[in-house]
Amino acid sequence: MEQRTEQDGGILRYTLGERIVHWVVALSFVYLLLTGLALFYPPFYWLVGLFGGGPVVRYWHPIVGVIFFGALVVMLLMWARDMRLERHDREWLRHMGDYAVGREEAVPPSGRFNAGQKLLFYLQFLAGTLLLLSGVVLWFPLSFGRLVREASFVVHDLAAIAAMGALILHIYMGVFVIRGSWEAITRGTVSRRWAEAHHGLWFRQLRAAGSRSQE
Amino acid sequence: MPRVGLEVKAVSATKRVSPGLGHPPTGEVTKLVDVSVCIGCKACEVACKEWNDLPPNPDRPFTGSYQTRPDLDYDFWQLIKFNEVDRGGRLVWTLTKFQCMHCEDPGCLRACPAPGAIVQYANGIVDFVQENCIGCQFCVTGCPFDVPRISPTTGKVYKCTLCSDRVAAGLEPACVKACPTNAISFGTRPKMLAQAEERVQRLKADGYTEATVYNPPGVSGTHVIYVLPFGNEPELYGLPKNPRVTFVNLWKGPLKWLGNTVLFGGILGAVLHYFRFGPREVNGKGAGASHQERVQ
Repeated sequence: MEQRTEQDGGILRYTLGERIVHWVVALSFVYLLLTGLALFYPPFYWLVGLFGGGPVVRYWHPIVGVIFFGALVVMLLMWARDMRLERHDREWLRHMGDYAVGREEAVPPSGRFNAGQKLLFYLQFLAGTLLLLSGVVLWFPLSFGRLVREASFVVHDLAAIAAMGALILHIYMGVFVIRGSWEAITRGTVSRRWAEAHHGLWFRQLRAAGSRSQE
Repeated sequence: MPRVGLEVKAVSATKRVSPGLGHPPTGEVTKLVDVSVCIGCKACEVACKEWNDLPPNPDRPFTGSYQTRPDLDYDFWQLIKFNEVDRGGRLVWTLTKFQCMHCEDPGCLRACPAPGAIVQYANGIVDFVQENCIGCQFCVTGCPFDVPRISPTTGKVYKCTLCSDRVAAGLEPACVKACPTNAISFGTRPKMLAQAEERVQRLKADGYTEATVYNPPGVSGTHVIYVLPFGNEPELYGLPKNPRVTFVNLWKGPLKWLGNTVLFGGILGAVLHYFRFGPREVNGKGAGASHQERVQ
């Protein structure tokens, strides 16, 4: 906890380790999404050219997939406490409409992650698990029966589409809407105002912990 | 690659195909396998390996069975299956020459994501073009007959070509040429269909009342057809009862449109949302200014 208190005039929101894990997940997922799109839609096949051509993409896509899933598991363990769904999250979800249109003052304060972020995380984790399981079948199709192969294609596609939708939302919110999030996930820090406005409960906890440590 | 005689009808991952000038003088071709005449000599297996330059493979040792190998392989494109079947306490050997069926509606070609890796010629032959193959093996899942096999050394997928190179030059496939009992015939499609029907009638007269031609409609017919004495039970010959291309239709239909909606709808939605509601700024000016006052 001591790492998450003030630093250089800002509040440390993500430790260096957390940022590295986030970016391993993020970059591997973007690679998987772009190469996956190339194999899913013939009109996007040209994307393989960005990554070394078709055979190279076929070789690396599953391996990067394993790296992605490994980092996702580390992320789950790392954030398990902060991602727990609590009573106040239900309140937050009831005000999701207000949150979506930017009336955050009408939304109850959230912990380190708000309920939307938590659900998005679980959606991504579920999709990632399904992608890994079905992906192993697509990786070695001759080791599995016909039905398993065909079902895996459908599962892989559906999970990838869900994960893609979640990613679009995540990038849009993090990069374009919630100003300051980009600094948080790259440099690690946010301002006090940012913390109070977007994650009120978390901010209060930090302040309480801070004053206690000063005593 | 020869083009005359191999005019192209369909190409993987490619919507429109320019067929070029002309059409094959033969029209559609078909190989007919009459399993009731097959004696299991395997001359066709040898001819196949010889013509296609596929030498014996020390990694696939003999396993002590009548059958040369347990399954098709990247360097073993056709196999006589020595199926042992119990018919009313009697052993029946349903020897079946098994290879690519050259479907009229090929699931492999539809599943293939690499442009030009699988082509269907106007004469009906479905061919793999290894130069364009990326080794993804989507064709393995797309094939309703479980035929394509990947090579661990080249990372490409292989299968029977129906000797497209020989056919383009006006020759019959190597297996047909080698068969000593005329169990395998090759020719134009109408001629082969008529010949198959004639053989079925002869089998029926001999007491095989269920004899049929195996030319499954689920894949719009195949360019390798069989005469089966126990035609109501194609499983006895290791052939699927009603082969169909299923998941590829789901993929290229509803799943593609769901993907399009999420991808383009998501991006469009984000842009519109940004135009209407904009960013939330708590540190300075911007759309969140009123909000910022409240925080202070």
